[in-house]
Amino acid sequence: MTLIELNDVGLLFRVRRHGRISLKEYVLRGWFWPSRRPTFDVQALEHINLTVKQGERVGVIGRNGAGKSTLLKLMAGIYPPTSGVCRVTGRVSSLFDISLGFEPEANGWENIRYRSYLQGASLRSLQDKIQSIAEFSELGEFLDMPVRYYSAGMLVRLAFSVAAAIDPAILLVDEVLSAGDASFQTKARERMRALISSALAVVVVSHDLNALRQLCDRVLWLDHGRIYRDGPAEEVIAAYLQHSTGSAQQAA
Amino acid sequence: MVAYFRDIWHLRHFWLALVRNDLRSRYRRSLFGLGWSLLQPMAMTGVLCLVFCQMFHLSLHDYAPFLLTGLTFWGFITSVVNQGCQCFFQGEPYIRQHRAPLAIYPLRTALTAGYHFGIGVAVVVVFVWCMNGLGNLPALLSLAVVLPLLFVFGWSVAVCAGTLNVLFQDTQHLAEILLQILFYMTPIMYPPSLLSEQHLQWIVRLNPFAILLELVREPLLAGRLPAPETVVMSVAVTLLTMAVASLMLKWCERRLVFYL
Repeated sequence: MTLIELNDVGLLFRVRRHGRISLKEYVLRGWFWPSRRPTFDVQALEHINLTVKQGERVGVIGRNGAGKSTLLKLMAGIYPPTSGVCRVTGRVSSLFDISLGFEPEANGWENIRYRSYLQGASLRSLQDKIQSIAEFSELGEFLDMPVRYYSAGMLVRLAFSVAAAIDPAILLVDEVLSAGDASFQTKARERMRALISSALAVVVVSHDLNALRQLCDRVLWLDHGRIYRDGPAEEVIAAYLQHSTGSAQQAA
Repeated sequence: MVAYFRDIWHLRHFWLALVRNDLRSRYRRSLFGLGWSLLQPMAMTGVLCLVFCQMFHLSLHDYAPFLLTGLTFWGFITSVVNQGCQCFFQGEPYIRQHRAPLAIYPLRTALTAGYHFGIGVAVVVVFVWCMNGLGNLPALLSLAVVLPLLFVFGWSVAVCAGTLNVLFQDTQHLAEILLQILFYMTPIMYPPSLLSEQHLQWIVRLNPFAILLELVREPLLAGRLPAPETVVMSVAVTLLTMAVASLMLKWCERRLVFYL
């Protein structure tokens, strides 16, 4: 069964070079004179044709700025396609930007609650899970403190513990394969592996090519917003590595 | 439409938790906590009473609750506009992570503002009860209809303010100026009868905030149900604002993320 279907999808961003526009600028300059803050277009994704069936585990690789995260956000429904059709059947659980979206004055427990509710948990389901989330994070008494006193690593642990407590149907992961210090990372990796195997379909963006080799059976190589190659994991990763190191050698 | 409200309902724990956090964090490190939200309008009332009771030849019994109702109402409007302008920016990290109906961010604003307004109304009720007895109970019960209506109005205003402020960043500043002007054009500090002496009744008749304020004041202070024309106008104003807000939401639901 096809869970994700992208048909000739394109995504165009219209960006203003120097920040946001004011009403005065919009009315006066927009209508009477050329604007002092013109927009320019960024074609983030172009002619994306992709289907992901149930049971598939797809990795996405590419250079920085190729459009990988944008593709995931489009699949999650955060950005609508500006051309083409994107159809996603089923509940989407996403792990993006987990360091964002904390309420700094609230303590660890409350933040666990907010993030879980946003992910779609209900009061009852959270009741059962909250202890296990707290234990997984290993933050102990720090959970009673306001989150603004946490270190960056502690925030990541908290975010990861909440994010990894979901029940994924379609799982979209953006560079969150692991987190935290050495001891936490092993645990985190195991949990991600468990999540990925329990999901109906998975799309993972990562720069960790070894992990992708182990986790995914199919890999997409995105370049400048287009799908450059789409095939079995080993093949595409090998080609990508060759291309990357080859071009590095050329530059040197 | 129904699916949209169903999605909002599904996320009720999320936005309720955010509202609770907003209320708590505002007074987290202060002495009186939530009591501050009461103290401010009451202090304003006290000061203005001292000054204006003489000027308008009104007794303290009448003027204090009159002023307190008006000030709390205006506090609600100001919150809903000012925080409404920021609601989508405040929710930006959430908007970028999970797809959710955008209406929950202005809803959060309207609920926080509504909570403070509710407390103010409760204080006025208690004050009037102590001064003049319970008065007309059915009139008071009409508040059970009026307050939700005001809440819907507040939510719609927050949607409009939030969307406009994302598109044009100076909306908030313009709104602040407009609110200042409207404060003096609404009979909050002065009784509406003052305007009729100057043949300025049109200010009250055409000012939607004055109409809505009348809807709250009549049952609270005069102990009688508001006039039918006030009710009709208020419902019309609310429906109109709701319509504008719905159109804006429909437009921006898929597009707002590009402007954030």
